[in-house]
Amino acid sequence: MSLNNLTLLTGRTINQGIALEGGKTTKENVRAAAICTFDKSDFKELDCMVGTPVKVTTDYGEVVVYSTITEEGPHPGIIFIPMGPWANQVVNPDTQATGTPTYKGMKAKVEVMKGGKVLDALQLIGQLKEG
Amino acid sequence: MAEIKLTLKKKPEFPLEADSITPDNFSGKSIDDIKALEVYIGNQTAKLEDYFEVKGDTGEADDLKIKIDGDLSNVKRIGQEMTTGEIEIDGDVGMHLGNQMKGGKITVNGNADDWAGAMLEGGEIIIKGDTGHYTGAAYRGFWKGMQDGVIRVEGKIGNEAMLWARNSKGANKWPTLYCGEAGSFLGIHNHGGTIVVEGNVDRCCGADQAWGTIVVKGSISTKLPSYKKVGEVNGVELPNGDKIKGKFVEYSGDHSVRKETKGRLFIAA
Amino acid sequence: MATRKIKTVYDVVCPFCGTLCDDLEVDVEIATDKVVEVRNACQIGTAKYYSSNPSPHRYEKPMIRKDGKLTEASWDEAIEKAADILTAAKRPLLYGFSSTECEAQGKGVELAEILGSILDNTASVCHGPTLLAEQDVGVPTSTLGEYKNRADLVIFWGSNPVHAHPRHLGRYSEFIRGYFRKDGRNDRYVVVVDPRNTHTAQIADMWINVNPNEDYELMNAIRAVLRGIDLDDENVAGVPKDKIYELVDLVKKCNYGVIFFGMGLTQTLSHHRNIDTAVCMTRELNDHTKFLITPMRGHYNVSGANTVFTWNTGYAYSIDFSRGYPRYNPGEFSSVPLLMNDEVDASLIVASDPASNFPQDSVRNMFKHPLIAIEPHETPTSAFADVVLPAAIAGIECDGTAYRMDHVPLRLRKVKDAPGECLTDKEILERLIKKVKEKLGEK
Repeated sequence: MSLNNLTLLTGRTINQGIALEGGKTTKENVRAAAICTFDKSDFKELDCMVGTPVKVTTDYGEVVVYSTITEEGPHPGIIFIPMGPWANQVVNPDTQATGTPTYKGMKAKVEVMKGGKVLDALQLIGQLKEG
Repeated sequence: MAEIKLTLKKKPEFPLEADSITPDNFSGKSIDDIKALEVYIGNQTAKLEDYFEVKGDTGEADDLKIKIDGDLSNVKRIGQEMTTGEIEIDGDVGMHLGNQMKGGKITVNGNADDWAGAMLEGGEIIIKGDTGHYTGAAYRGFWKGMQDGVIRVEGKIGNEAMLWARNSKGANKWPTLYCGEAGSFLGIHNHGGTIVVEGNVDRCCGADQAWGTIVVKGSISTKLPSYKKVGEVNGVELPNGDKIKGKFVEYSGDHSVRKETKGRLFIAA
Repeated sequence: MATRKIKTVYDVVCPFCGTLCDDLEVDVEIATDKVVEVRNACQIGTAKYYSSNPSPHRYEKPMIRKDGKLTEASWDEAIEKAADILTAAKRPLLYGFSSTECEAQGKGVELAEILGSILDNTASVCHGPTLLAEQDVGVPTSTLGEYKNRADLVIFWGSNPVHAHPRHLGRYSEFIRGYFRKDGRNDRYVVVVDPRNTHTAQIADMWINVNPNEDYELMNAIRAVLRGIDLDDENVAGVPKDKIYELVDLVKKCNYGVIFFGMGLTQTLSHHRNIDTAVCMTRELNDHTKFLITPMRGHYNVSGANTVFTWNTGYAYSIDFSRGYPRYNPGEFSSVPLLMNDEVDASLIVASDPASNFPQDSVRNMFKHPLIAIEPHETPTSAFADVVLPAAIAGIECDGTAYRMDHVPLRLRKVKDAPGECLTDKEILERLIKKVKEKLGEK
């Protein structure tokens, strides 16, 4: 039901690209970018249906996204969230004085959250606005 | 020795650029002149007295000590391009401490941020705490970084220390860094710098080193594949004459730069 | 005589990714001024053209936040408010610029200089490390047409063009027939280095499965082997020694090789040092054969932003005008570290969406202070902005110049008019500059 010691990568996917050009505040963007893809073997250990929400936690934050099995495997031990607001809740903001945050290669753990709520882009980013 | 004491009144809301704080700039000026020196905050210009209390006796630069008190972690460029005299800082200090310094001495009883002693050309910087990234490094795009002088850090230094450091045998210049621990890419693109680490070093130590000496008394997390073992040695003599005792494994490299190289990495056996 | 209901614009340059495809055909219904069909573009480019049509999330009028809600305002009010915010700030940030045309970028530089602000473009979160490394060690590179006609070995390192640059493979690097590569795909050997077996890797001839964050070690090993050194380690960065020798053999034997690299190198732990060593590796490969390297730039005109900033200020990104003259130091003057330190007290975002693309803590700090967005669509940034200035989409609703990833400038075309009261980015920035100058004169 949960996995530790995973490495989180983020990056572009074509669906995420289409969704962001089609409207960043739409449901399509949630479907395209609020997902976490797992290797088949890792997903078996999670013991849940495709599409079940999972909570991804790193040293830098946590986010709830839908789970799915990767088309770009095998990559056991690696999980992938498309770039976008959801991925950026858990990436490493440290730039090592280069100016560019470390968006790839964070240590992460994942828990299944049956009934967990995946927020849309505005709700998610709205949490960062105080008052 | 004449001594001027600066005390920070309040922590600035934005980074304060205080490149005017050097013995050279204070030399021969009255206290009122010093108070009126310019500092920069955001896109505004302010006076030194707006942020610091200034007290003490003035004198000539090579006989002048500046003592600074307070949380200076947001104050940048102290001691920039200084050539003589002394600065002592009680507390943490911001970026670019003593950058392009040519002579004199800076002591920090606390931590320093990134770029401490960047492109050092002479003199000595002593930091009792940790430093950030690019300690004694070359600025962006420069091929000659630290060219002479000594940096001593008792704590841990960040990544890419001594980037593009360059010695000069003819001019007897041996840029040297002593530190407690080090982050990744220590001594990258080293061209003759000397580095001694008391403790452990992160990955990619000595990457792209053309020549120079790195001594690690602890261990390194992963050795680069381009370093080759030469043998074991008992004690290392540094180019500046210092002798380091102990048993070390000697590696040559970085061989990704040259097949035959004078670059050496010593790791405690 | 029948009246034409549809006009077709030919040879349109696509304003989505750095590939800047220049063969699009766009059909616009004349009566409604709507895009009804896009030919030749990839899915993403097509979506971008359709997004210019009126929709609930397209801004058509300037907006100002009043009592916590964005409400419609006149251009004069909105520009006045924006200029007030910018002139009151001590450390304003101007960010974005990569999805607009070069003339607007030039105006951005002018505004930054007047304000004494930070000027940054999206390279600072994507290919900034590439620019840093190029300053350290240079870059042997070429235009994409050369690769198309000559390259027989193509390496994609930390780059997944099937997803990020969909037509790159078909136009320049993999399937296209070139002058010396008459049989297209069959005349090229394609290698992908990536921790995942990406869709690009699945159609390649060789996939090298490198550990995340360890690209530097792998390239370092390759460079050592190129120098004739035997590796002591059996396994470097998860790649067996034999595979490294096989790859080195392959790259030495090719006639004309090219490395395309992406975020897999710039956004991992070693950042610019990955590019540094990749460039050195390319340079060393030229002892054996012809080899070149090109970054896969993301935004269609991020190369243009770097170029325009450079010819105006001397620096490509992360520029600080606070002392009246341009200074440059990524890591010190880049948007994310500045926001992480909470140093910025007002932001102007031009054609970009940092709220979606920056790490969460930096977004939280950006939202603490006044925020102005010049933006055609509702995004997580503009939705929480204090002033929204609606822009025409460059490359669809206004013309201009854009630079391809290989620094070839191409002319963008206008295919339709912008809806509502939208102005071009350039006009908006010009109005802002005028107003800011007035206000600074009063002070």
